[in-house]
Amino acid sequence: MVTALPPNTLAETPDLLAVLRERFPQDVLETTRRPGLLGRVVLRPEAILPVCRYLRDEQTFAHCAMVGGVDWKETREVVYHLWSDERKGYLELSLRVPAEDPHVESVAGLWPGANWHEREAWDLLGIRFDHHPDLRRLFLPEGYEFHPLLKTFELHEPEPLEVKTRHE
Amino acid sequence: MTLPTKPLPPAVQGSADGSSAPGVPFSEIETVRAKEFIPPAKEALRDVLARKGTDSLIQPVFNWAGRNSLFPLHWGLACCAIEFAAAFGARWDAERFGIVPRSSPRQCDLMIVNGTVTWKVAHKLITLYEQMPEPKWVIAMGNCATGGGPFRSAYSVVPGVDKLVPVDVYIAGCPPRPEAMLDGILRLEHLIQERRE
Repeated sequence: MVTALPPNTLAETPDLLAVLRERFPQDVLETTRRPGLLGRVVLRPEAILPVCRYLRDEQTFAHCAMVGGVDWKETREVVYHLWSDERKGYLELSLRVPAEDPHVESVAGLWPGANWHEREAWDLLGIRFDHHPDLRRLFLPEGYEFHPLLKTFELHEPEPLEVKTRHE
Repeated sequence: MTLPTKPLPPAVQGSADGSSAPGVPFSEIETVRAKEFIPPAKEALRDVLARKGTDSLIQPVFNWAGRNSLFPLHWGLACCAIEFAAAFGARWDAERFGIVPRSSPRQCDLMIVNGTVTWKVAHKLITLYEQMPEPKWVIAMGNCATGGGPFRSAYSVVPGVDKLVPVDVYIAGCPPRPEAMLDGILRLEHLIQERRE
């Protein structure tokens, strides 16, 4: 017997995407409904901090589940997944920064858990996060010269790197 | 069925009613046995020294002692460490070869690199190797430590731990079974036995 799930009232009414479009008419470029998500919102890169603060403080998105990146060659996309316990769902934020100078404001001040996610995106995709408390490489050693998840990175026959121990 | 046992000397056999037996106490029995052992040992040593000379004897003695008490560093990098741990369990019992894992590199003379080494951890591996006292040996356990394994061309993986430290024995397998690890250690023991300074 299939029991109907209780209606997720918060997720449906009022419509979160419509509220966001109304609240940030200049900054929300595009909203789409996605299966499995509360919605997908494309933002202007400059607007990430006020939108995130609004979502955290007034729309119950208390948890930043993921910060990732995509290399689209001309631009680089930064993707945020925010989780709300009250709405029981993820909201996806997306923004595009130019590949020549990819940088965006850090959200580590709003969600401390975003700290390492942003370090990972910097390490592998070369996206700089302004005002990040500690933007070092996460997986690769300091001094590594590539951001290896970029399309321009070519796999090569491995060459030994110079390894320095701490006392050297 | 009873195993043939050597009869104990009468001094340690208590009387039937449990009272303390008269005679030599147990501790002195041990001393007597050791004293009995010393003269023939001295004689044998004198014989060997007369035949081979002092210098040629000391190195084999050190080699013999070292190879029978290899202390590997107790650390794990990846799934090979599970096999490494299993080798010290009840089924394979690596300690019967005198192999005792130690937690400090300063007490070790053998480093078993068991797993994928990334460039991020490479300087820590070198630091651990440098902290080990001489003489020391390195075993590359598994395909990752031997040559990078399936991650050889990855951007973050050291393609073989011999790029960082000198390796004496390579063990193939992904991961090698504990038997293979023990075989590698026994081969290293042969290398140590033939070592000449």
